[in-house]
Amino acid sequence: MTQEELWQAVLAQIQLTISPANFATWFKDTTISSIKDGVAFISVPNSFAKEWLEQKYHKTIFKILHELNEEIRDVKYELSKPLTQTIRKSFISFKESSGQLEFSEFEVDKETNLNPKYTFSNFVVGPCNELAQAAALAVAENPGKVYNPLFIYGGVGLGKTHLLQAIGNEIIKNSKTKRVRYVQAEKFVSAVISAIRNHQIEKLKSLYQVVDVLIIDDIQFLAGKEKTQEEFFYIFNSLYERNKQIVISSDRSPRAIPALTERLRSRFEGGMIADITFPDFETRMAILKAKCQERKVEFSEEILNYIASTIQKNIRKLEGALNILIAYRNLQGFPPDLKIAKTLLKDLTSSTSKAITAKEIIKAVAEFYDLKEKDLLSNSRKKEVVKPRQVAMFLLREELKSSFPFIGRKFGGKDHTTAIYAYEKILKEIEKSENLREEIALIKQRLTSGEI
Amino acid sequence: MKLTILKEVLKEGAEIAGKITVKTFTLPILQTIFLNAEKNFLNISATNLETGVIWWGLAKVEKEGKICLPTKIFSQLVNSFPQKSISLWQKDFTLFIEGEGFKTQILGTNPEDFPIFPQIPQKNPIIVDSSSFCQALFQVMKIPSPSSTRPEISGIFLNFQGNVIKVVATDSFRLAEKRIFLKTSLPESYSLIIPQSAVRELISIFGNETKELRIYLSPHQVWFESLMSEISHPKIHYTSRLIEGEYPNYEEIIPKKFNTVVFLSKEEFLAKIKTASLFSGKSNEIKMEIDPKEETVFIFSESPGVGNYQGSLKGKVKGQELKISFNHRFLTDGINEIKTPEISFEFTNEEGPAVLRPVDSEDYFYVVMPIKTS
Repeated sequence: MTQEELWQAVLAQIQLTISPANFATWFKDTTISSIKDGVAFISVPNSFAKEWLEQKYHKTIFKILHELNEEIRDVKYELSKPLTQTIRKSFISFKESSGQLEFSEFEVDKETNLNPKYTFSNFVVGPCNELAQAAALAVAENPGKVYNPLFIYGGVGLGKTHLLQAIGNEIIKNSKTKRVRYVQAEKFVSAVISAIRNHQIEKLKSLYQVVDVLIIDDIQFLAGKEKTQEEFFYIFNSLYERNKQIVISSDRSPRAIPALTERLRSRFEGGMIADITFPDFETRMAILKAKCQERKVEFSEEILNYIASTIQKNIRKLEGALNILIAYRNLQGFPPDLKIAKTLLKDLTSSTSKAITAKEIIKAVAEFYDLKEKDLLSNSRKKEVVKPRQVAMFLLREELKSSFPFIGRKFGGKDHTTAIYAYEKILKEIEKSENLREEIALIKQRLTSGEI
Repeated sequence: MKLTILKEVLKEGAEIAGKITVKTFTLPILQTIFLNAEKNFLNISATNLETGVIWWGLAKVEKEGKICLPTKIFSQLVNSFPQKSISLWQKDFTLFIEGEGFKTQILGTNPEDFPIFPQIPQKNPIIVDSSSFCQALFQVMKIPSPSSTRPEISGIFLNFQGNVIKVVATDSFRLAEKRIFLKTSLPESYSLIIPQSAVRELISIFGNETKELRIYLSPHQVWFESLMSEISHPKIHYTSRLIEGEYPNYEEIIPKKFNTVVFLSKEEFLAKIKTASLFSGKSNEIKMEIDPKEETVFIFSESPGVGNYQGSLKGKVKGQELKISFNHRFLTDGINEIKTPEISFEFTNEEGPAVLRPVDSEDYFYVVMPIKTS
C-alpha cells in the first residue's frame, strides 16, 4: 500500500466517527509526508490543525495506522508549506493596461541581464559541444581578441543560452569593470521598434555602443526585420571596429537564416562559427548525473539509463523528465522504481516518437523558407519557390515513405515523374552541398521537436 | 462557571475577540468565542485557524468553567449592558447573564470542540514599544497586494538586527521601509514575513495599547503579548502563521547614485499632485519635469476629452534636468507617510527607480518605479 493509499484508508475510517464539518476543517490538506524508522509524519496545513490532531485524534489516527501497517510505532505531525493564495484579477489587468514599470527581477542582474546560475563549471562537455565550449571559453578568457564575432548555433534545448550566459558571467567574474550586455534578439527587435516610435534611435545606439561585450541570443529572430538588421549592423560595426567582443547564437548557421542581409551574413561568417549537435548517450548520462548532484537527489543507474536512452534530442526535456521523478520522490518519500518511472514519463517519451504528417512537413518547409504554404502548393515556377517545393517533396518521400503519385497530387496535381525528379535532384544535391544538408537537418529537427 | 465582572472589562474582551476576521468555514465552532473562567480571570479566545487571540480580564470567580458562545450575539449583547458589575453563570451549555435591570440567557456549544491554540514558546521575547511598532506597521501595511506567483511579497517583512527593526513592504512597483530604533541592541537577529491580514488585526488589537509589546517567534508562528497594567499577567496573546519563503534582497533595488535630486514642501507637492490627478485618466499618469536652472518642478496631466492641468512649484534642485511620469496614487501613498514638512525626491533616470525621503530623518524611505514615457 502506498503512503497515499494508507492515508486514504485512515481518512475513510475517521470520517465515519466525526461530523463532516469537523472532518473538512481538520483533515483538509493533510497527507502522510514520510514514514521513517516506524514513525509516520503527517503534514498539516496550520498550527491549529497540528494541535488539534495531536491532542484530539492522535489515538484514533495511530490505532488505524498501526492496524494497517504494523511497522508504524509512532505518529508525528508537522506543518506543511502554505498553499499559495488565489490571485486578484483586477490587479493583473491594471498591470497590463499601463506602462507602469516594475522592479526588475531580483535574480537577474539588471545591467547585464545575465542569470548567474549559468556558468562554465556546470556546463557538461561532450563530443557534441566540445568545439563550441572551447571557443566560448577562449572568448571568455580573452574577450575581443581571439574569435570575434563568435557565432554558436544548434537546435532547441541543446545549451546555447547556457554557453552564452556562461561567457558573460565568466567575463564579469574575471574583470568587474567590463560592461557585458546579454539580450535576446526578440527583445532587441522590440527595443528598436519602440525607439523608432519615440524618435530615440540614437539613444538606443549609444546604449549599445558603450558595452565591452555584446551577447545576442537567437539572432534568427532578426530574419526579415530589415530596419532592425540595419540598426544592428551599425552597432555591430562600431563594436567590432573597437575590438569589442560580440557573441551571437542562432538555431541554424548564418547561411541558413533566410532574409538576412548579405552584409550581416558575411560579417557573422568572418569570425568563428561553432555548432552544437545532439548529445550522445554518454553526454546525456553525464548531464543527468550533474543535474542530480545539483538538485541533491539520487536515482538508480537503471532509471537514468532509461531517461538518457529515450530522450535523445533535447536537454531541456531531460531536465523535465528528472523534475517529474524528483516531484514524485518528494511526494512519496522514496524514489520511483523503473516501472513507475516508465509510466510517469510516458507523456514525455511518447512525444519524441510523435507521428509526422504530410501537412506538418509542408508547413515546416514553408516556414523555414519564409514562404506561404499556398505558394508551395501552387504551380509557380519562381526560383525561390521551386527549390523549397522540391525539398518538401523530398521530405515527404524520406520521412513518410509516401508514394510518388501521392506526392504529385499533394502539390497541385503534378505528375508522379515530377516528384521522382525532385526527390532524386535533392538526393544528389545533398551530396554536394553542405548548406542544403544542414537546412534539411534543421527542418527535420523542428518537426521532431514538436515546434510545428 | 460562576463569576462577577465589570461591564467595561467584559466589553473590552468581547471587542478584542471580535477583531479576528471571521472566515467562511464549514465548522460552526469557528463562528464562536471561547469563554473560560479560571483562577482570578475570565479569558476569551477567538480564532480563524490562521490567526488567533486570547484575552484575560480580572474577575471574581466563584466556580471555574468553560463555554463557547456565538461571537456576534455575545458582543452586541455586552455592548448594551449598563455600566455596572455583571454576573455570569453556566448551566450545561447555556450561559446566564444578570445585571441591574436585565436578565438574559444565551445558548452556547460544547467548549471541547473549540480549537486548541499552539503553545507560546518558552524563551526570551523581543520587547518593543507597542504604539510605535503598530505605527510603523501601519505606515507600510497597505502596499502589498495578494499575489499567487510570489506569496513572500504578499506579506510585511520584519527584520530585527542590532538596535534597528526594519519594517518593509512592496508590491513590485514600489517599496517602503520604515525603521524603528531600539534603546538597546538585540542579542540575535531575526527576520520574518507576516501576512497582511494579520498585520491589520494586530494593529487594531494593539494599536491603542501604550505598554510594551513582547514578540515570540517559532519557525511557523509568531506571538505578540501585552501585559496587564495592574499586575504582571498577560492581557492579550495574539498569534499568526508566518509566510514561508525568502524575502527578496530588496536593498539591491535601492539606487546608490542619483542624477537628479529635488527638495520640496510636502504639503505643496501633495496639493499639486492631487489637482493633477483630476486629469490623470485611467492610467493615473502624471508627468513631472524638473528644471534645475529655474529651480522648479512642473507637473502636468492630460486626459483626452476631459482637459489638462499644468502646475509648478519651487524647490531646491540638484543635478540634471529630467522628465518622468508616475502613477499619482503611488506618489501620494508614499508622501502621505512622510512626517516632516520637507521631503526629498531622488531620481536615477526616466525609467529607473526614484526615492522619496523625509528631510532630516533617517527612519523612512519609499522607492517607486515610474511609468514608461510614451
